[in-house]
Amino acid sequence: MKGAQFLVKALEHEGVELIFGYPGGAIMPVYDALLDSPIRHILVRHEQAAALAADGYARATGKVGVCMATSGPGATNLVTGIANAYMDSVPIVAITGQVATPLMGTDAFQEVDIFGITLPVVKHSFLVDTPEDLPRVVHEAFRIARSGRPGPVLIDLPKDIANAAGDFQFHPTDDNDSSLQDLDTDSLARAMELMATSHRPVIYAGGGIGMGRALKEFNDFVDATRIPVISTLKGLGAISTRHPLFLGMMGMHGTKASNHAVQGCDLLICIGARFDDRATGKLSGFASHAKVIHMDVDPSEVGKLRYADVPLIGDLRKTLAALSPASLDGDAWRHECLAWKQAHAWNYDAPAPGIYAPWFLKRLAQRAGHNVIVSCDVGQHQMWVAQHFDFDRPQQHLSSGGLGTMGFGLPAAIGAQLAYPNATVINVSGDGSMMMNLQELATLRRYDLPVKIVLFDNRALGMVRQWQELFHDKRYSEVDLSDNPDFSRVAESMGIPAFRIENKEHIEDAIDDLLLSSGPMMAHVVIDQKANVWPIVGPGKTNSEMMDEIRQ
Amino acid sequence: MLTLQLRVRNEEGALVRVLSMTRRRRFDLVSLTADSSADGAFLDVRMTVQAERSAPAFVRQIEKLVDVAHVEVVGTEQPERDTHAASAC
Repeated sequence: MKGAQFLVKALEHEGVELIFGYPGGAIMPVYDALLDSPIRHILVRHEQAAALAADGYARATGKVGVCMATSGPGATNLVTGIANAYMDSVPIVAITGQVATPLMGTDAFQEVDIFGITLPVVKHSFLVDTPEDLPRVVHEAFRIARSGRPGPVLIDLPKDIANAAGDFQFHPTDDNDSSLQDLDTDSLARAMELMATSHRPVIYAGGGIGMGRALKEFNDFVDATRIPVISTLKGLGAISTRHPLFLGMMGMHGTKASNHAVQGCDLLICIGARFDDRATGKLSGFASHAKVIHMDVDPSEVGKLRYADVPLIGDLRKTLAALSPASLDGDAWRHECLAWKQAHAWNYDAPAPGIYAPWFLKRLAQRAGHNVIVSCDVGQHQMWVAQHFDFDRPQQHLSSGGLGTMGFGLPAAIGAQLAYPNATVINVSGDGSMMMNLQELATLRRYDLPVKIVLFDNRALGMVRQWQELFHDKRYSEVDLSDNPDFSRVAESMGIPAFRIENKEHIEDAIDDLLLSSGPMMAHVVIDQKANVWPIVGPGKTNSEMMDEIRQ
Repeated sequence: MLTLQLRVRNEEGALVRVLSMTRRRRFDLVSLTADSSADGAFLDVRMTVQAERSAPAFVRQIEKLVDVAHVEVVGTEQPERDTHAASAC
């Protein structure tokens, strides 16, 4: 058996069903071996989309996503997707072809040091330099990608290793996740004491809850303690966004209720989150009266940016299950939080005849049902989705949080739709982001994936335009996209039915067309260029200092 | 100034990972020595770094590297505030 054939067998052994990739010279032995494998290979049209689709697949399923590319430019094109997975702790394995070992270090054709290039954005990486090491490397790559705090792992495979014959045996499996620490009972006791003496507790829910498969334990904890919940972008859906105790997303574009709550709390219970600057605003003024209980699987996150009075390091499922609720004194505070939630409920009144994107998304959420997965790109539309869509599980909301990768949405939707062929997968995008991976419309067509695309078109790089308006004295620099192509015609030329709307009277029909179509479809939704995302916490401001729209 | 004694698996790029993490977390390298163990399986690294930032947080980032088998803090010239209340390291 050749190394490449063993690699494919080992991927099968790891349970891999799908690989997103793009062939080329150095990876050709693996593509040859794939012809004899039940693993389905999805040919994207740019390697970046392979990594992002693997990421979307992993976010939607919790399984390890796999992407593959050849050496040189194929490998470098994966880098953004690998970094995206790194920043959001998504388990993917990226396999790159490499020039043969005798040529490595000679500046050979399509040689690049992808191992070195990706060092700061991988959880770990391997260069396979002997055939005998291949079984261990593949096994370790998957184990590392999904263990503890998940993340991307790179396997760089030289062509001569892929072609080498050998007697390969699967590496023995070990299902124990040794990266998980035992719970510290003293810290648990101190956490419960803090909860019992708190008058104004708030739960700050992050992406770690979903990644750590702790949804049940988390929801039980919330229901038992009845502590109000705010969330990060990635924490959306950890508890249903329709849950009465959910106050909304926090931070720069968070709800007023969530930001008031976090700023006024005396105990912040951070669960699987990392005090990201978009969530905290000015750190020194963040929840400045609060003591902090910080639960995370990754010890390096606890105390990184904010002192934790009680660190609880380990598996969130076990931590949450071990926190038996004390008698809490939170009734008055809870009522205060819920009063904020009611007082600052979203206002969808938009007198203009044009389409108000938040209202479009609200209606789409109401009508799309519970079996929906939304993938976003990055910018204003991403924040509108976070604010106005409803999620019951974090796996329904695929959003590039840490890296903020424009062009994430369409490939991620492809990954999610392949994982769940019967789900309603919607890519909400913008006219800037859509152009970043537009070529993947061809992948939708090739595999006849029924992804629905809602493209909000304001003929601008809207979020940058908004910042230039608010924080740069309306000095607009390189944000005009008024020469966009006709997106409907572009989509149709790539075999994707599309339509354009610009009047709010057509919203319901547009949603009908999208949801009732059996195949892919694009709704090109023209919106007002001046529409901004509100509220907003400006740069360097605390979450108490929210700017809001002054409506005419 | 923080001096660490590390035992690092002698795998591809292991020392580069340690140095890359040092730079990325905005620590400056003051001194570094590295010797391979007798069997060549490990590198024993002694490094001194300095920064305004939290030393324990940096130690945890180094510990997290897959190839780092062991970390010991062998010297802190100025005690830095530990932001990690229950740090075991």
